[in-house]
This record gives sequence, structure tokens and C-alpha cells, in this order.
Amino acid sequence: MKSREQEYKEIFIAEALEYFDALNRHISNLEKTPDDDQILAEIFRLLHNLKANAKAIGYLPISDLAHKLETAFELVRKHELTFSNEVATVLFDGIDLLGELLSNVDDPNYKILDESLFHNLDILAENGATKDLSEATKVQKLNARNLTLSDLIYIQIKKLDHLLNLVGELIIDRDRIISLSKDLNSEDLKAVSSHLYRITEEIQFSVMDARLVNVGTLFNKFPRIVRDIAQAEQKEIQLEIIGQDIQIDRNILQIITDSLLHLVRNAISHGVEKTADRLKKNKPRQGTLTLSAQSDRDNVLIKLSDDGRGIDIPAVKKAIVARKSLTADLVDDLHENEVLSYLFEPGFSMAKEVTEFSGRGVGLDVVKNAIDSIGGRIQVTSEKDKGTTFTLHLPTSIAVKGALLFEVEEGYYAILLMHTDSVVSIDKDELHEVGNMLVANIKNETIPVIYLREFLNSNDAHMNLGSKDRLNGTVQNIIIIVYNNRRLGLIVDKLYRQQDIVIKPLNKPLDNIEIYGGVTLLGTGKVCLVLDVPAITRYFISKK
Amino acid sequence: MNTESISEKKEVNREPSVHLIVFKLGSEEYGIRIEQVKEVTFTPEIARMPKIPVFIKGVANIRGDIIALLDLEERFHISSSALVNGEAKSYSKSYTLVLEAKDYTIGLLVREVPQSLSIPVSRIEKTPSFIQDLQINDNYIEGIGKLGERLIIVLDIHKILTFDEAEQLKA
Repeated sequence: MKSREQEYKEIFIAEALEYFDALNRHISNLEKTPDDDQILAEIFRLLHNLKANAKAIGYLPISDLAHKLETAFELVRKHELTFSNEVATVLFDGIDLLGELLSNVDDPNYKILDESLFHNLDILAENGATKDLSEATKVQKLNARNLTLSDLIYIQIKKLDHLLNLVGELIIDRDRIISLSKDLNSEDLKAVSSHLYRITEEIQFSVMDARLVNVGTLFNKFPRIVRDIAQAEQKEIQLEIIGQDIQIDRNILQIITDSLLHLVRNAISHGVEKTADRLKKNKPRQGTLTLSAQSDRDNVLIKLSDDGRGIDIPAVKKAIVARKSLTADLVDDLHENEVLSYLFEPGFSMAKEVTEFSGRGVGLDVVKNAIDSIGGRIQVTSEKDKGTTFTLHLPTSIAVKGALLFEVEEGYYAILLMHTDSVVSIDKDELHEVGNMLVANIKNETIPVIYLREFLNSNDAHMNLGSKDRLNGTVQNIIIIVYNNRRLGLIVDKLYRQQDIVIKPLNKPLDNIEIYGGVTLLGTGKVCLVLDVPAITRYFISKK
Repeated sequence: MNTESISEKKEVNREPSVHLIVFKLGSEEYGIRIEQVKEVTFTPEIARMPKIPVFIKGVANIRGDIIALLDLEERFHISSSALVNGEAKSYSKSYTLVLEAKDYTIGLLVREVPQSLSIPVSRIEKTPSFIQDLQINDNYIEGIGKLGERLIIVLDIHKILTFDEAEQLKA
């Protein structure tokens, strides 16, 4: 059956691409420690499996190439061929070609443009080709291989997406039933609904769990990428990878792929100095890039650090003034964090002032948008001549998100926990009218505070956010939101609780209203509006 | 259905006709082709949404779908008697026409029970050209139907929505 055949092909490709990644990782390591037998053995094993799988499914060019590479590595392993520069180049090229073949496997018109590589590989093989026997033993090994079925199944992410959406719907209905059972005060219904609660909780957890992949699946692509960029830039860079086995939703990893690549490229091209400059600064000649992942409650933190020149704060300040975002004296007073947050503003480029963030058509704002879109956030810290660190705070899972529920003028609202810093209650007297804003001193930080009722209900012309007169009561509940290193307090009428919510997108004609990130249904069937923290923060920045 | 419309039906039996859902806005009757109407229901609880155009009264949960509810009286700037009395209009006893466009659903708020009736195609006149000229952006009127004494303004719902979006972007 054709469809079955297609499925086999897809599985082969998925597996082969994993092998390809691993090969790249190992060969980059091998270049540093050419005598490491363990790495060689691993490369050998991968090529061998790839060859066998390709042959089985009928992709002969791939199995031929894998075979030639295997022969060459065999010679290296037997010390009949040294892993010198020329050899390394040919082998790297060979693995690249393998990747090319894999990605063009379905294109009937695809032809290998340059046959010389095969020729090179043949020459390598012939240099030590006196041992024809090794070839024979290998074939035997292939035949003797035990047939075992993998414990893994490959499943299309589409199917898991669908499943997760259904779980989302289920949770909404479950909450509804629980609240009905309380209203009706029926013991039977309560018992059933609490059981239902447990089961849906478990289903939700299982489905989310099934979508988790190791961060390593993305991280392991970087040794090769870093090597290539570093070579092109003529820089010496070593990459450290930490926390490959931290798990995260596969789609989230997919969405941040380009962003991470962009940040890595920036760090190498503009962050890390050339060797000569590093030596002048008494730094180790080799630059270090660290890519790490760690769990942080329900989130995953991905950090990218370099030990390069750091971001030139005065130059960023100059660029802010040049863009007329702020006046010179205001910029002088900015906290360093706030200065750095301007790097993420759309169109912010410092191509002339500093090279660190000269874009290639993609700016940091694009990176930021990608991360916003999954409800994450990005932070940057930097120290002159010590280096720069980007931290991505990412949710572990997409569909169900923790949120804080509250009320403003009898309407229900939610803000994602991801964007909330803390919740405080303070006396009206602790709020001060400063300019057109209210500010409060919270945990030794001066934070602007807005009265959400006023913000939501007045149109721009009549909005008066700087007056305390409109506040109700003496004690004010404030949710402190944080976005792009900026903190903002929102005064709400009533605070409710934390709850996992499933966000539904708003439909036309309301899909373009900036301040809403979507809606969710509460257990009572009531509609709850989800406020979009990035949009609200942007609103106030553009105001200033 | 009242007797008048039944007798009308008989009379026009052999002619091709258009089936409309008819409702009142202000003092006039408006109609929308039945194919464009998904259902008619009592207006559910409306969740008010700040920072949206005034003629969109908010969103409501209709069988798990969350849809925007429009008040066409405000949209068309028609003064209705209900509007004059109280400052805040209540929709608690109104009806919602759920309309289905190509890729989304939207609700129209109407005050009285909408009726269903058929009208011969020949009785629907094209909009007089000067009205079209006057309201360049507002040619959401597909035609004007005449049934005995009654005059029914037939709306093209797709055009209303397109225009809403345009205005939406300005808001």
C-alpha cells in the first residue's frame, strides 16, 4: 500500500536526520580530539545504521555515500589515515552532502552537482585500501544484526496538536460541570465531577507529556553551526552545552529555533572578539559560548552567554537619542536594564554605533515577537568586556497556561502568570501623583501604576491616569506585570485566584484589538478577557 | 407567521422568491437572506469589552463559540425610542441573530422577534442610485423589498462586515 510506504519513508527520514545531527556533533568534536576512539566508534555506528536503513528503503545514493564515508572512517579508526586538515575537509563535505541528499530525497529531479567529492572519498579509501577484508566483515555484521523493533513510535505533531486542543475543550467543560454540581448541590454530581476532574487532569498531563522533547534535539544542532560561523568569521570559539535533557513542548522549541540561531549568530559575529583583541584584553584566546537550559517551576529557562565585548551601553543610549525615542537627559537617567530593553524595539538598529546588533534584515524585535507569541519573555544582561547573556523564559507547554483572574467593573479579566511579577495591596496614601502617572515604591523600586478601570473605560482624550481621586476605597490591589525588563502596576477592583486557562483566539472583527490576547470561558460559562501584557506595555511606551 | 405573509406566498408561488429573516431597527424593517442566518436566539449574557468600537456591544458565549455582538442601530446611527429613555441600553430582553460569514460568526442584536418571510425577486428593487451616491461607503443595502404596505430594506451582510473591519482598523 502506498500510504504505508510513505509512512516508512517518513520514519526513515526522521531517523536519518537525527543521525545526521549526531554525526555533525561528533565530527566537530573529533576535530578537536582526533584520537578519541569513542567518538570514532560512535560515528562509525551511525554511518553504518544509516547505510543499512537507506539500503532497505531503496535510497541507494544515500547508502552508497554512507558506505564510502564509513570506509574512510574505518581507516581513521585503524590509524591508517590521520584525521588531518585535508581529510577533515573531505569528511565534513561528505557529511554535508549526506544531509543534502536526505533533504532532497523526494525530488526526482535532484542531481548531485559535484561528483568530485565521491572521487575524493574514493582516493581516501584507496590510500589504505589494501585491507579488502575489513569490507567483508562489515557485510557479515550487517547480516548478523538482530532484528528488533524500536520502542519508539513516530507521530505527526499535527495529531498531538489536535489532541491537545480537544483536551483544552474538555477542561472548559469540566470546570463548567464542577460549578454546576455546586449550584445544584447534588452529592452524586459532585462525586462524579471530582472523578472527572482527576481523569481530565491526568489526560491533560499525559498529552502534554507526550509532546515534550529534549531541548537537546535543538541544542545538538549548534556545535556544527557554531563551528561553521566561527570559521567564516575567523574566530576561535568553543561551545558549551548544558542541560540537553530538559524537556519542553516540541512546538515551542520549533518556534524559538530561528530566534536562537539569530542570537547565536550575533554572539559569534559581533559579541566575541577576534583572537588578537582577546589576547590584548588578557582573555583566553578561545571565546566561549554557553547554551544552557534549566527548569524553573513551570517554565524553562534557555540562556545563551558569550564572553565577548559586551553591549556598549553609552552607544545604545546615543542610538536611543538619535531615534528621538527619548531626550538626552532622560536617557542619562535610565537604568541599565531599561537601556537594554530598547534593543528589542521594532526597527532599533545600532549598525553604525556598535556592531553587536547590526541586523541582517532581522532585528531583535523579531526574536522578541516570536517569544511573545508563545507567552514567553526575553531578557538581556551585559557587562563591558565580560560578555552578554540572553535569557529566554519559556512556558513548558502551549495550550494550558497559568493565569491570574481578576475583576474590573464587573468584567472578568485574566493575565498570564508568565507576565506577572507579584501581587501587592497598598494603601492609597502610598501612591503618588507624578506627572500624568501614579507611582508607588514597591520593594525599593519606583514603579508606575495605572488604574485599570480608568485605562479601560476612558478614551485617550479623557484619560486621566495621574489622579488618585478616581480610586475607590483606601486599599488598592495591584498586580505588577513585567515585560521587557519594565515593571508596571495595574490596580484592579477584585483579585480572584490563579487558574489554568485555555485561551481561545478572538474572531473577526475583534481579532485586531491589540490589548486582548484572547478570551477564555470560566467554569460558570462566563466570558473572561485575557489582557495582552506586551500590548499594554507597548501602549504606555508609545505614550511616553 | 401571520396571515398576510401566507396570502402573499400563495400569490407569488410560481415566481422565484427570496426567503428573508426580517427585523426592526428604529422604525424601519430590515431583512437578511435566510442562508446567511445561522440561528435566532435570546441574547445571552454580554461580556462588555472596553476599547472596541461603540456599536460592538461585547462578546457572548453561544454554545462554546465566543462571538462579537453588533448593534446595527448604533452602527447605522438610527435613533430608536428605547435609546432616548435610558442612558444605558439593556439587551436583556432582546434577540440575537447569529450570522455566518465565510470564516467567522457574528451576532446582530434586535429588539423584537424576527420574522421569516418570502418575497418575490421581482419585488426587490435595486437601491435608488442617489442613495448609493450619498453613502459611498455604506452600500451594504442590497435592495428594497416591497410587500403590500411594507417596505423592507434588504441588507448584504458581507458588506456590513467588511465595512466594520475598515472602521475597526481606525479605532
